[in-house]
Amino acid sequence: MKKEETVKLISAEGFEFVVSKEAAMVSQTIRNMLTSPGGFAEAQHGEVTFPEITAPILEKICQYFYWSLQFASGKETEFHIEPELTLELMMAANYLHT
Amino acid sequence: MSAQKKRNFKIEAFKHRVEVDPKYSEKTWKILEHAIHEIYNQNASGLSFEELYRNAYNMVLHKYGEKLYSGLVTTMTWHLKEMSKSVEAAQGGFFLEELNRKWGDHNKALQMIRDILMYMDRTFVTTTHKVPVHELGLNLWRDNIVHTSKIQTRLISTLLDLIQQERTGEVINRGLMRSITKMLVDLGSSVYQEDFEKPFLDVSARFYSVESQQFIECYDCGDYLKKAERRLNEEMERVSHYLDPKTESKLTQVVEKEMIANHMQRLVHMENSGLVSMLIDDKYEDLARMYNLFRRVPEGLSTIRDVMTSHLRETGKQLVSDPERLKDPVDFVQRLLDEKDKHDKIINTAFNNDKTFQNALNSSFEYFINLNNRSPEFISLYVDDKLRKGLKGVSEEDVEIILDKVMMLFRYLQEKDVFEKYYKQHLAKRLLSGKTVSDDAERSLIVKLKTECGYQFTSKLEGMFTDMKTSQDTMQGFYASQSADIAEGPTLVVQVLTTGSWPTQPITTCNLPTEILGVCEKFKSYYLGTHTGRRLSWQTNMGTADLKATFGKNQKHELNVSTYQMCILMLFNSTERLSCKEIEQATEIPASDLKRCLQSLACVKGKNVLCKDPMSKDIAEDDVFFVNDKFSSKLVKVKIGTVVAQKESEPEKHETRQRVEEDRKPQIEAAIVRIMKSRRVLDHNNIVAEVTKQLQARFLPNPVVIKKRIESLIEREFLERDKADRKLYRYLA
Repeated sequence: MKKEETVKLISAEGFEFVVSKEAAMVSQTIRNMLTSPGGFAEAQHGEVTFPEITAPILEKICQYFYWSLQFASGKETEFHIEPELTLELMMAANYLHT
Repeated sequence: MSAQKKRNFKIEAFKHRVEVDPKYSEKTWKILEHAIHEIYNQNASGLSFEELYRNAYNMVLHKYGEKLYSGLVTTMTWHLKEMSKSVEAAQGGFFLEELNRKWGDHNKALQMIRDILMYMDRTFVTTTHKVPVHELGLNLWRDNIVHTSKIQTRLISTLLDLIQQERTGEVINRGLMRSITKMLVDLGSSVYQEDFEKPFLDVSARFYSVESQQFIECYDCGDYLKKAERRLNEEMERVSHYLDPKTESKLTQVVEKEMIANHMQRLVHMENSGLVSMLIDDKYEDLARMYNLFRRVPEGLSTIRDVMTSHLRETGKQLVSDPERLKDPVDFVQRLLDEKDKHDKIINTAFNNDKTFQNALNSSFEYFINLNNRSPEFISLYVDDKLRKGLKGVSEEDVEIILDKVMMLFRYLQEKDVFEKYYKQHLAKRLLSGKTVSDDAERSLIVKLKTECGYQFTSKLEGMFTDMKTSQDTMQGFYASQSADIAEGPTLVVQVLTTGSWPTQPITTCNLPTEILGVCEKFKSYYLGTHTGRRLSWQTNMGTADLKATFGKNQKHELNVSTYQMCILMLFNSTERLSCKEIEQATEIPASDLKRCLQSLACVKGKNVLCKDPMSKDIAEDDVFFVNDKFSSKLVKVKIGTVVAQKESEPEKHETRQRVEEDRKPQIEAAIVRIMKSRRVLDHNNIVAEVTKQLQARFLPNPVVIKKRIESLIEREFLERDKADRKLYRYLA
């Protein structure tokens, strides 16, 4: 995948997740970051740092992005969430407008 | 994991939550305010979207939404005021450009701000029912820039000036115009309408009011319409280039009203170039233009239609009442047809084949054709002329076209029964003299009449054709039955006509020459032998004869003459000289017919087989006739002028009319009885109305005549008056 088609998501601890832009844009917030006119830093460098999201949560979020794309194209499977992640995941979802 | 659901939860702050420190909101806002300034200064590339978004997010989360919102309003307003100053400062032509540039900047900034404040838009704005960020930005722009006293009037007058310049032929920056009007539309349709559209329409109305006044003073109708059309197209083009599409109908309405509706009457009636002269000169293009322009305004088409109708009626009336025209019936009808063709073509090419126009045309024709009560006769004469000679060498389709046109005129006639009467007479002459060019054409016309008026109308006409056919068979039978010696004498061709089917003529049998008489008697006995119970009488006023004649220098000619003329010429076999009186006594031809025959035998140059003494045009009783020995002709066969069907003279016309009136009486009575039989009781006015309706297809009955027929029916006890109400009639079974 070309670099222009991916985006690097960085967790609070510094873990980097490289996902396709298409998947990342499942989040309305990330979509705005990457498409807003005027060229914010994120759009220029192709990476976004989330100082308030931990790596396990961000990983789950990335999984969700891809699951969501498949779901939208008609593949209806379950998305499993460990109970201990639920709260943080929900807060992150609110933040990311997902 | 949709956001929708999450919103309903109480959200605890993140785990490394910021201590609620009183300065927290102040600090966060400073960061955001700084970012907004940077965005407006087009210096945003270094900013982190995530950071700004997170700060705005946290502010809203910590219940500082109000502070964030009001801070935004203040900051944005400050920037807009700055922009406003720079727009105001722009000189002359740069004003619009500067405004447009700033508008672009603001829009871009506004979108970025909206993106970073998205969370506020999503939660705080909806719960507190505030104006969303984007709309807020537009409103602030409107209040701080477009609606400030220094800019508002300058903006509108600049726009209007530019349009005025374009109308007078200058080129302006249409792209810029489009951006600015687009801006006004974006600010809300009310802003566009109030700030721009309304004054624009007012100015347009004034402009076109003045211009149309100038045009109408110095151009004729055709040119004026061209100008108006061009202006209208220009305005529509203007709308498509840089105005809101909704303006088009309003703008064209203004132009239509000023350019067309206000001057409609004057245009139509313009001397030498108005509608009437366009119609006369077949100006299809101008007419089409007028049609297309006038249809846009109320009453436009009806104005054209009214003028066209009155013009048609006027010219038609002149046509049918011009005594010069009435001299030649064929020409008269041809003119009517030409007139119809002309206007059909106009309606077809210029008036979009408009049904209402066709109706107007038809009603006009109906109106003026019936003004002249000789029209039925003339139309029949026209057909007669066509079927005698006019259709020679014409293709079948063309014949159909001509006949269809005649049928169209026929449809306009109110007195169809009069036409029938004349048609029968003319058809009889054509059939008997064998002058019909095409049997197919004759039959085709009868079929047309039949479909138009029904079986009754044509049954007698068809009977005439049947007679002609049976006569041929009879003649074959006759000659087959006779011995060979009959071939020595003159050949006889008899046409047996059923009384009733043919127009009856008063019988004035003349004395036939003995040679003929013999064959006639033989035929009579043959015919009455095969058909018992019939009566046969000779119509010597009809028919033709071919004579072989030898003149002075042994010149042989074959003369084609009428039966009367034959009787006259045969007399000269035995006598040298005869006076008019002697001829009359010998032949018993009615005096008026005799004179006509003698005239055609003696007075037509090149065909004068007889000489007359004294030489003069008119025939007197004592004039003496003798064979013209010096007669010569290039042709072997000489056709002596037969009396062709011509326009009736006044007394004849009168007579025909009376006959028609007589024929109508039983028809009216039949209609009354039919109606009363089904209704039993009806009052006078209704009877008259119903009778008129029933007979409309044939003629328009006169109410007075209907009344007389009712009275006659009462006398004969078909009807009676109601005893209580004298206006009611009762049917007596």
